[in-house]
This record gives sequence, structure tokens and C-alpha cells, in this order.
Amino acid sequence: MYSLIVKQFIRSKTVVLTTILILALGMISILIGEQFLAKQEKAIAEVTRHQQEHITRNVHWHHDEIGLLLYYLRFALINKPDKLAALSIGQRDVNASIQSVTIRNLEGQRYDTDLSNPSNLQSGNLDLGFVIIYLFPLLIIAFTYDLLSEEKETGTWRLVAVQSKSILRYLLYKLSVRAFLLYAVLFMLFVIAILKLSLPLNETLVAFFVLSVLYLAFWFALCFWIVSWQWHSSFNVLTLLSLWVVLAILLPASVNNFLANQYPVPEALSTMVKQRDGYHEKWDMEKEVTMDKFFAHYPQYKNYRWAGDGFNWLWYYAMQQMGDDESREQSEAMREKILQREQASRAVALAIPTMHAQLLFNDIARSSLGNHMEFLDQTYEFHERMRLYFYPKIFENASAAEEDWTQFKPEYFTGKNEVHWAGMVIPLLFITTVISVLSAYNVRRLKAM
Amino acid sequence: MQKDLVLLIAKQFWSSTFKLKAMYPILCIVVLILAYAAYSGWKNYTTHNHIRNHYQQVVRQSWESNPDKHPHRMAHYGSFAFRLKHALSMFDFGLESFTGNAAFLEAHKQNTVNFSEASFSTGLLRFGEISLAMLLQIILPLIIFFLGFASVATERENGTLKIVLIQGAGWKEILFGKSLGLMGLALLFFIPVALATMLLLFIIEDKALTMDVWLRYAAIVISYLLFFQILCIVTVLVSAISQSAKDALIKLLGVWLFFIVLLPRTTQALGSYCYASPSKIEFESLIEEALIKAGDSHNPDDPHFSALKDSLLLAHQVSSVEQLPFNYSGFVMREGERISTHIYNDHLHALLQTYEKQNSFTRLTALINPYVAVKNISMALSGTDFESYTAFQKQAEAYRYQLAQEMNELQMELISNKKLGPDDEPYTISREYWKKFPDFKYQFISISAALRSELWSIIALVVWSIASFGFILYLSKKAKAI
Repeated sequence: MYSLIVKQFIRSKTVVLTTILILALGMISILIGEQFLAKQEKAIAEVTRHQQEHITRNVHWHHDEIGLLLYYLRFALINKPDKLAALSIGQRDVNASIQSVTIRNLEGQRYDTDLSNPSNLQSGNLDLGFVIIYLFPLLIIAFTYDLLSEEKETGTWRLVAVQSKSILRYLLYKLSVRAFLLYAVLFMLFVIAILKLSLPLNETLVAFFVLSVLYLAFWFALCFWIVSWQWHSSFNVLTLLSLWVVLAILLPASVNNFLANQYPVPEALSTMVKQRDGYHEKWDMEKEVTMDKFFAHYPQYKNYRWAGDGFNWLWYYAMQQMGDDESREQSEAMREKILQREQASRAVALAIPTMHAQLLFNDIARSSLGNHMEFLDQTYEFHERMRLYFYPKIFENASAAEEDWTQFKPEYFTGKNEVHWAGMVIPLLFITTVISVLSAYNVRRLKAM
Repeated sequence: MQKDLVLLIAKQFWSSTFKLKAMYPILCIVVLILAYAAYSGWKNYTTHNHIRNHYQQVVRQSWESNPDKHPHRMAHYGSFAFRLKHALSMFDFGLESFTGNAAFLEAHKQNTVNFSEASFSTGLLRFGEISLAMLLQIILPLIIFFLGFASVATERENGTLKIVLIQGAGWKEILFGKSLGLMGLALLFFIPVALATMLLLFIIEDKALTMDVWLRYAAIVISYLLFFQILCIVTVLVSAISQSAKDALIKLLGVWLFFIVLLPRTTQALGSYCYASPSKIEFESLIEEALIKAGDSHNPDDPHFSALKDSLLLAHQVSSVEQLPFNYSGFVMREGERISTHIYNDHLHALLQTYEKQNSFTRLTALINPYVAVKNISMALSGTDFESYTAFQKQAEAYRYQLAQEMNELQMELISNKKLGPDDEPYTISREYWKKFPDFKYQFISISAALRSELWSIIALVVWSIASFGFILYLSKKAKAI
């Protein structure tokens, strides 16, 4: 009987056509991911080359004054994308992956955005994550909505009901054929992605795959549950598509609106204004005001003295430092606000599989907002390290010629790639199990009519 | 064509739809989402405009309250431009969430426009946002398909179609009647959205509530009416050519998925694939290179500036720059700013053109996809489209340039050419000059400019509207009753 069910299923033109369509879209999405990685690689190569040239040129121009030289020099920190980011580009197209900063006031530099076409950002990336989260469920709906009603509407149901020992088993057979085909397509797409992007076979890749499998299992369970109510085909497809619209568009979008309204970030603007004022207003004050604060922050530099009323670099960099020090409170508040958004969306996502899948794909691929926040923190550390390395040299007016400038190559930030299996698997498993139990209960009540 | 009959069929379709049990839950859900969308549009607009207005005032005050100082210090002190939202952005968020909102404007340097909503957003932004316009563009078409897929096909299935045709109604009457009835249902959903938008425009107490806003509003309403008219006719026609209601439903859902979910994303991806845009570092280093070629005022041995100096000394018949009748470094900076701004603007222009080329693929599909047409028109009229964003960017840059050059000119005019000794008081000018410099005022692009930029989409929508009537006439000659 199983082979007959298979034959009947794959003989449908719609099935063949939509399967080819999703394979094609899946492959396009992998190409889009590959292109994204290539673009990032190119930018990284570019910044590496440029930093070298930029340092050489400026050292040539300003070698006699290291204070002035460091005013110009920029050092890059790169948030190198994981290869998996090709499968789930996440927030990486919005947030810059390269920070190129001078040792001056950091708060005025680290939020600078990348160049991007806002229309591209709005339309969103057609990555494999999108194909899995949006399109696979549609296929599942298309393949299963008439699982049972089709038999009723064509009049074969009574025959089937009489001839098969267990109705539940018969329906599960039918369902499993559909599941097998779609999982095969999913598996093929992963194989293609692994070959095309030369993805390393590691825990994160397995996590990405397992998450996809479970996510689709949720949709199979949901469809089966709707089918088990024995409504008409048209009603089923309407209900399922409405559920899809609610789960994949309306709910997540509403939550996003809610978070944006609940946690506006005026702190971003106050940081921006405060970092300027913190620095610039010092020009109009006595030098002691700035220096006292500076020495309080960095007691190790207390012994440096300055001469005369005129300009000197010690004072200048101390003023720049004040931009950061005095906007610290605002920038911390901004960070807190953004983390609140992140936490709130995670909490809600536990109950909604589409959102859960999206956020976790981004986590696994290190393309989430959380990853960017870590990168911003890391930029702070990096900047502080560069700053403290050069401060004494500037204050002593050390010779720029004696510095080994070739050591300043772009540095890389590589965040942790941890997979929290329980947090990832349990919400999906739980929801899927509950729905499956409900459907089994429904099917047991089925009669041959 | 018998008008009475058309109306009768429309009425009959309307009342039979209300007998559907599903109709009331759908209405309730839509009303709920509508209320939420309206609320969040209003909240978003008032919160952000409040914040941005507040900071625009704060930075103005701090600008004016600066003490007497050297004008070049003021040029570095700089100012900020915050992007205000258009009143109609409550209706259509458009690109708002993906465009930057604040720029620091200082001498010598064009900073990026930072802090887009997207940069604070979690991965959920990928699912889109709920706005009144989104409701009309994505959800309402689906509802129209839900309500209309069975309109003709069911009558064919249960044989009533034959009876109606025998009783004297022609295909033309049936198709027009059903479309009209469906349009009536669509209006049932559309009118509350239009009223909610009007209400929002009234309650925000904005001085900006001028004729311009109402004209935009009217144009938006007309565009959506055309869009729904097209959808209703298409729905009825698909129903008429389908063997069964189920068949019609599957076709219509396919249309929805293809034209609303898949096609725009794919064409946008194709656009950015065909026209690669530079990365930031590439963009900046190209500008840097061009600047070094043209003359970099920060390079002490720059040939352009030494040549300029020589010719200046010659023209004024003096032997050193200290003897010039104006402040020489002010002059150098003015020239440097002029050159660098020119180069930057050229590159920015090229970049924006690349972006427009990327968008051109999607824009082109407006002709086959009325969804794209109405989406573009709606964004443009709501002041949330690509053009509006670049208008802000350009205005902010123009203001920055004006600020830098004004300070350079004050320096040329009022600062002495004599170099200061180490113990001299620094040169300053009166703070009155800061007050004289105007504040930044963001101007929305005019409605006529907005409409002109979306001419293609307008044409597409009108052509579709006319063609859809043509389809009815064509089909009414060919359709079969069985």
C-alpha cells in the first residue's frame, strides 16, 4: 500500500512543480549567501590593504609629531562572519562588521553605519533561513491540506476506512510520504550549501540542521491537526494559510512593533550629543579642569606635565577622553535598552516557532543583534588597548620613526559560537508534541463517514 | 449592459457573503489589527518626533550658548541633523526603519547618518512591521481573495450559474456585478483604514497639517481604490475561469504568494546582484584617493595648495601669507572644504545612482505587479521612500557645508593673519555670530516631486485598472457556463 501512496502523491503535477520551485529557490538563496560572504571577504581584504597604505602615508607626512599622526591614524577591528552567516544573514546586512577607529573619542565613531541601500534592507535577504522559515511551511500546507478531505471529496474515503486496519496509521503513512520528500529536499539543500560554501561539518552546522528539521516538524504537526478536524479542502487551506500569515507575518511583526514602541532609544541621540559636548566644551575651560579628571581616570599618567597656556597633545587627548568619559552613562543606558529588546523578543519567541527559529538561526550563524552588541563591546576593549598603548608615546612625544608600524594590522573579533541545545530544542519539541497529541486524539474519533 | 441586474448581482453577492460564518471573525480580527496598526503608527510618530525635536532644540541651544571663540573651533563643534518623520509616516512606515536618523555635521568630514531603527532591532524586524499600509498591501488582498474565490466558481459547481444565465443575465452583468459586490466588501475593510488615517492626522496637532498633507492623503486613497478595484476584478475573473472553487482558491493563493512575497524579494536581490555597490571602506578610500589627487589641505606639502599660495602672493603683491589682507588659513580651509565636498558629493551621487539601479528591477515589475506600484506610490506620498531619505541626506550635507564655509569666511574676515606667540590669548570672535547662523530645518519633498518620481508606478496602476475592465469584456464573450 505504501508504494501506492507514494505513486499517487508524486504523480501530481503540482507536487513536482512546487518541489522543483523550492529547490531552485533554495539554491538561489545559497548563492545569495555566497555572494554576501564574498562581499564581506572583499571588504576585509580592502580594509587590510587600505590600513597599510593609510598608515604608511600618514607616517610619511606627520612623522615628526606623533600626537598629530595619531589624530589621523585609524585601526580596524573586524567582526568576521561565520560561514553559516551565508545561510542566515540576520542583522549582518544592517550592522557594520568592520570598525575602523582612531584613538580619539570612541563614542563618536563606533555607531557609524555601513553603506547600504535601504530598499535592499527593507525587502530582506532571500537566504536559506528565509526559505526554511517562510517557504517550506507553505509547501507543507500545499501538500497536506487535503490529506483527508481529498479522499472524502473524491469518494474514496469509505473504501480506505473499511480496508485499512488503522485510520491513524493510514493517514500517518500519507503524511510520512510528504514529510520524506520535503526532508529530502531540505537535506539536499544542506548538502549543496556544504559543498558550495565549503561549510565545516561541526556542531553549529548540526544545530542549524536540527533546528530546521524540528521547525518543519512543527508545521507538519500543525497541518495534521487542522486536517484531523475533517473540514473541507477549501476550509483547510484557508485556515492553514491564515495560520501561516499569523505566525510568519502578523505575530512577529506585531511583537516587533511592540518592542520598538516599548523601548525607544533616545539614549542613542543623547550619547551622540553628550560625547561631543563632553569633549568640545573643554576647549573653553581651564586646562586643569580636564587634566584633573583625566588623571583621576588614569592615575598612571599623573607624572606627565604640560608647559604654557598654548596647545599641547596631552591636553588634547585628555579632552577627547572626556567625550567618552562624560557620555559613558548615556551609552551604557543605550546598551541596556537594546539588550532589553533582545531579551524581550527572546522570551516571546519561545512560544512562537517562527520567531524562535529566526532568532536561533541568527544566533547559530552569529548574525544576531546580540552578536553585534558583543562586537561593540569588543570595539571598546580594542580601542582602549590602542589608546593606552599610544598615550605614553604621545605624552613623551616619542619618535614616530622608531615605532614598528607594520604590527598594526586589522584585528579580528571572533565571538563564541555556543549552541544551547536544550533552549533550542525544548520549546519546539514541546509545542510539536502537544499538537501531535491533539491530532491523534482527533483522528481516533474518526469514523468512516 | 443592464445596470439594475449588475446591482442586483452585486447585492446578492454582498448579502450571501455575510451569511458566511467566517466573515465575522475575519472582520473582528482585521479591526483589531487595524486598531493596533493605527496605535503603533501614532505612537511611533509622536515618540520619535518628540525625541528628535527635543534634541534638535538642545543642540541649537548649545550652539548658541557657546562663548566667544575662534570660528574654526565652532566649525569643529558642529551641529546635528535629526530626521523628522512625515505625518503620513503614521500610515506607511516605508523605509523609515531602515534609514538613519541622526547625523553629526562638522567641518572637513561627512559623517554617516546613524541610528536607524533597524540597528536597534532584533532578528524579528525580518518579519516586517505592522502598519496601516501593510494591512492594505498584504493582508487585504488576501482577504479579497478569500471572499471572492468562490464568487463564480461555486455557482458553476452547483449549477445556479446556468439558471442565472438562462434568466437573462449576461456574462458581462455577472462579472461586473460580482466584482462590484466584492469591491463593496473590500471597501468595508478599506474605509475604516482610511478613516483611521484621517483621525490620526487630526489628533497629532501638527502645524504641518496643511493642504499638502490632505492632497497626499487624497492621492493615497485614490491609489488604493484603484489597487483594490484591480484585485476584485482579477479575483472574480480567476473564479470565472476555474473549474471548481478549490481550483480558484489555489490559483489565487499562488498569485498572492508569487506577487507579494516572492517576486519583490527576488527582483531586489537580482538588482543588487547585477549592480554591485561599494563597501564603506572602498567608498572612503576612493574619495581619499581622489582628494589626494585634487589637493589635500591636510597634507603640508600638497602641490595644489602650494601653487595656490604662490599665485595668491603674486596677485596681492606680498611676500608672505601674513601680509595678505585676509586670514590665510581660513582661505586654505575654505578651498579644502570646497574641493573635498565636491569630491564627496560626486561619489555620493554615484553611490545613490547605483542604489537606484538596484531598485530599478523591482520598480520595473510594477507594470506586471500592481502591488509594487501601489507600494511605491504609497511610500512616496507618505514621505518614507528612497527619495525622501536621500533628500534628508542631501539637506544635512548642504547645511554642513554651509556651516563650515560660513565659519571659514568669518575666520578670513575677522581673524588676524599674525601668528600667535605661545603666551598670547587665542583669537576669538563674538558669540553673536553663532546666533546669526540659521538652524537646520528639514524640508519634505513636495507632493509634485513625489508623484513625479513615481510616475512609472502611477502609469502602471492606471493601465492595470483600465486593462482589468478590458479583461471582463473579453472574458464575457469567451466564458462558458459549465
